[in-house]
Amino acid sequence: MGLYLTIALRNLLQARRRTGLLVTALAAVTMLLVMLMALSNGLTETMIRSATAISSGHVNVAGFSKHKTTDAWPVLHGISGLRKQVEQLVPESELLVVRERAWAKIISNQHSMYVSPTGVDIREEARLREAVTMAREGDYKEGGGDQVKGDLAKLSEPNTVMLFASQAKRLEVEVGDDLTITAPTGAGRTNTVDVTVVAIAKDFGFLSNWAAFVPHQTVKDLYEYGEDTGSVIQIYLKDPSQAEAVMARLRQDLKAKGHEVMEHHPAPFFFKFERVAGEDWTGQQLDLTIWSDEVSYLKWVVTALDAISYILVGILMIIIALGITDAMWIAVRERTGEVGTVRAIGMTRRQVLTLFLVEALLLGLMGTLLGGAVGSGVAVLLDQAQIHIATEAVQALLLSDVLNLSVTPSHVAGAVAVFTLLTGLSALGPAVRAARMQPVTAMHHAG
Amino acid sequence: MKTMTTLMLTLAALLLAAPATAAPLDEAGVKALVKVIDDRQRNSGDYKAMVFLERKEKDKNDLVYQLVVYRRDADDKLMMLFLKPKAEAGRGYLRIDKNLFMYDPATGKWDRRTERERIGGTDSRRADYDESRLAEDYKAKYVGEEKLGRFKVHHLKLVAKKKADVAFPIQHIWVDQKTGNMLKSQEHAQSGKLMRSSYYPKWKKMYSESKGAHIYFPKEIRIFDEVEKGNRSTIVIQKVDLSSLKANLFTKAWLESRSR
Repeated sequence: MGLYLTIALRNLLQARRRTGLLVTALAAVTMLLVMLMALSNGLTETMIRSATAISSGHVNVAGFSKHKTTDAWPVLHGISGLRKQVEQLVPESELLVVRERAWAKIISNQHSMYVSPTGVDIREEARLREAVTMAREGDYKEGGGDQVKGDLAKLSEPNTVMLFASQAKRLEVEVGDDLTITAPTGAGRTNTVDVTVVAIAKDFGFLSNWAAFVPHQTVKDLYEYGEDTGSVIQIYLKDPSQAEAVMARLRQDLKAKGHEVMEHHPAPFFFKFERVAGEDWTGQQLDLTIWSDEVSYLKWVVTALDAISYILVGILMIIIALGITDAMWIAVRERTGEVGTVRAIGMTRRQVLTLFLVEALLLGLMGTLLGGAVGSGVAVLLDQAQIHIATEAVQALLLSDVLNLSVTPSHVAGAVAVFTLLTGLSALGPAVRAARMQPVTAMHHAG
Repeated sequence: MKTMTTLMLTLAALLLAAPATAAPLDEAGVKALVKVIDDRQRNSGDYKAMVFLERKEKDKNDLVYQLVVYRRDADDKLMMLFLKPKAEAGRGYLRIDKNLFMYDPATGKWDRRTERERIGGTDSRRADYDESRLAEDYKAKYVGEEKLGRFKVHHLKLVAKKKADVAFPIQHIWVDQKTGNMLKSQEHAQSGKLMRSSYYPKWKKMYSESKGAHIYFPKEIRIFDEVEKGNRSTIVIQKVDLSSLKANLFTKAWLESRSR
């Protein structure tokens, strides 16, 4: 094999210009694929981070209560007992939090909007505290400065609210301002709670459009829920990849403990109201989901990005493959005499075929390794630069106000391997042609 | 029996009207007054009215809807069919038993809505178009005699009964001592926060054959949002017709056929 590699390398170096062009083209396509995959990975990671900080645990034990068959209230009674059971049943959990889910109109002196004021105990919300960053005044107030006002810890005080910057901007409020939250109670009567803005966090893309956080009691007061109630127990696992397995096991365990458990429906809870309201039961049923179920309506962004990436890179690769095939045809033509000579002194057809294939694979490996390395480097640098995304629509789609890219070594290795293999396959036709040449004909052609 | 009840209520109204102009009401008087307010607006037969609904909201363009309201008070039936603007034409609300359904002609689908639904996204609610049910839904308490502009009024506080299906659990109403017409109402949330104020500047009476007495209806209701200051809605009721409606009118099929 060493001999083949030496000959292949010498041949490539002999045709420096052609080799240079092909290596550059291959490197460019590999680089593009690596960067697009890094963007897709970054988006997926941001989605997990956003979802598990804002709207979901890795596994969620939620459910619905129905006093009459047409009801569908996202509230669980006896939440403290259920929490204890879940704690015992999921020893691999890292953190457990109880939240109240709500949908209400939030009204400032200037404007109003609908938000999901989620009830939390900020002292136990380590993950939320870690995930959100407080916004600069300038992020939500025209002419505002760089100072960060507000304190997330104050969310432990009664009737307070944490908003995201885009919401504060829309409502024209800042830290210290009062807002009114209004929603119908369980009995359908209009109710209100007045809250004070204690913190304004940086946007989290799409999810922060409607998420807001208030203390548990604020949601309970708004809906007139009882003391021992909550909407969801969010379970954070040490190993998030186990979410699906933990959910499946927990489903069986909770059933064994006598709980009514709904069939698994991989959708966020707010997609289920109509279905639950149409079901013929009363009482309480648990609904278990994993994080990806709760943001399943966002998966299309990753799917679309992946589809665009693969189509774009696929088209470029076809063009390059045609270029490589053409270059190899030229190489075979140029070296017809040499092929005749080596065949005449005893080289077999298979060895000639291998010689040309090794040359193409070496060319592919050089190009893809270069592209993979440069693409990974650029992606890492762009990620570290935390480039701000100015357009709000793009922020919403990418779930972040900065560009996040994440390079996975296995993806880079995969891109290098696939493109190298494709390069080899592109050279298969000319290599077979070279191998089939009769030594006499080839030598005659050279003469 | 129905005639007897009507006569008794009319008598109560007459009894109230004379002395009430000068004296505050006791508990029985308050109860009777609320019943009179309801009865004056109720028609035992059918009701049809052309309604114009204007919405003014901050940061939004003004909107005017034209709709027809159908009622069959004896069966608690209510239907609303939007005629204008073009984009809303064909949209309809239909109450069947205790459920309010909304029909969207764009999708051809019916959605179950809460009884407290904001009609057409305005500050108006189903109750603003329906027959008055204050005595049924609320317990009334006398607050005092007051002056509302040049009118001497009774000020009552109404608190919703436990199982009443109402949007606002607390209401204050101001009733003209002379005519018995409600001139103003203020609706509060469960928390006590004032949510909206409504004014009833014009009332009209019509003779109802089915009731055998006059019925009263506000020609105009002006609703002011007290939380989102600047938002307001105006309901103008015109062309009231008390003649009998078709028996099959209050059905999803009828509303769908009109939407097409």
